[in-house]
Amino acid sequence: MINKIKITKSERIILIFIVLLGIFTLGPLLIFKNKCLFVKNYDPSKITFNNRKDIAVLNAKCGNVIIELYPDISPKAVERFKNLTKLGAYDGAAFHRVIENKLIQAGDLEFGKKENLDYGKVGTGKSGLGTIKSEVETSFKYKRGSVGLARTFQLNTEDSQFFIILQDEPLFEGEYTPIGNVLYGIEVLEKVKFMPKFHIVPRPDFINSLKMLD
Amino acid sequence: MTLFRSILFFFIFVTPLKANTIYDLIKIPNLEIYETNTINRLRYLYAVRPFRLGINVKKNIHCLNPDKKTLDNKYKIINKNLNRYSSRFLKRINLRYIVLCENLSIAKINTAGIPNSEMRTLILDIKFNDAYFERAIHHEVFHVIKDSYQELFNEVEWRNFNTKEFAYSDCSTCSNKLSLVTYNKTKGFFTEYSKSTASEDMAEVFSHLMVYQDKTYAEDPIIKKKILFIKNNITTIDTTFKF
Repeated sequence: MINKIKITKSERIILIFIVLLGIFTLGPLLIFKNKCLFVKNYDPSKITFNNRKDIAVLNAKCGNVIIELYPDISPKAVERFKNLTKLGAYDGAAFHRVIENKLIQAGDLEFGKKENLDYGKVGTGKSGLGTIKSEVETSFKYKRGSVGLARTFQLNTEDSQFFIILQDEPLFEGEYTPIGNVLYGIEVLEKVKFMPKFHIVPRPDFINSLKMLD
Repeated sequence: MTLFRSILFFFIFVTPLKANTIYDLIKIPNLEIYETNTINRLRYLYAVRPFRLGINVKKNIHCLNPDKKTLDNKYKIINKNLNRYSSRFLKRINLRYIVLCENLSIAKINTAGIPNSEMRTLILDIKFNDAYFERAIHHEVFHVIKDSYQELFNEVEWRNFNTKEFAYSDCSTCSNKLSLVTYNKTKGFFTEYSKSTASEDMAEVFSHLMVYQDKTYAEDPIIKKKILFIKNNITTIDTTFKF
């Protein structure tokens, strides 16, 4: 016959203490693992815009990034960006080049889409629409949140790839074609996955969707 | 094969990231912005540490970081002289970045400047001979101009301005004709250095025009032809250009 051993009061207290200790130590780890926890997700339907036809909404892992486009500054580049956006071409495109606190780049429609990501070629892909001329004549101050079209080392090679800068870049003025500025949600971009010391991001984050507001 | 691919992948993609905007733009390391707010949109950069780089030949260009006081003083002179070129003209000649450093040398030979129109860059030695410093700035700018407009500045045509007995050296440093002192009696050449190559001769004529205009030398028929050649071709690039 086995005698049932009754748990003592002090043992019960120790057990409760251990359980609580576990909750308080592991709990925050689980909470903070969610990198989007403190990122505000802006709802464009709750914001009033004067120029709705020039507002693009990029949805990423941590929420919406609301971008105002500047067709008056770079008409051709904005037209290209709008056309691709309206086609849904950027949906599922990787943030393939991410430099911490500096720049994120996406929009390789040939080698940077979720379904056919090619690590060997990502960043070199084309849209199939051909290149467009650089529009760098108008004065434009590249500040944190500015959006521009990426190009090769040569001017007039802009296509579909774009970048958003996370810090001021005075030397970009006159070098890269500006297309807009982030109005809301730049903190969403700061949570995009990056890898220190890597040119490209292995298993990158993707654009869930990129749409024009109107 | 898998191992080979893995190693290849590692070397191609896991190389250190140079998250440096200036390096990305002009491929010169160790630079920082000195001034970007200029009337002609020139961007002035300066060396914060010595740098080495190679244009055509690997790492044969060397320059040191300048001290702050010299940099501030020389910047005023450089800026004053380069402000004479409009943003339109600079765009046409492919010049956008001015790199300021000291003791600039190429293949261990000291030089006032090194132009690279492909990178839209002119590297200037801010400690170059004070007596000819301003002239040297324009001299180097001319090399940028010529690089961008090779067809305009035809060396065969230029050589014909000289007397039949005269021949240039094979390269600018192939002779000891290095003096930049302006001759009292020009006889077809402004300086001894003009006699080194046709390209240097053109640059010397241009720099003399920019600094002294053409108020003297009118009596030298060869110089007159050379001045006319330079003026005509520069105004072909930009009709509003003022010497």
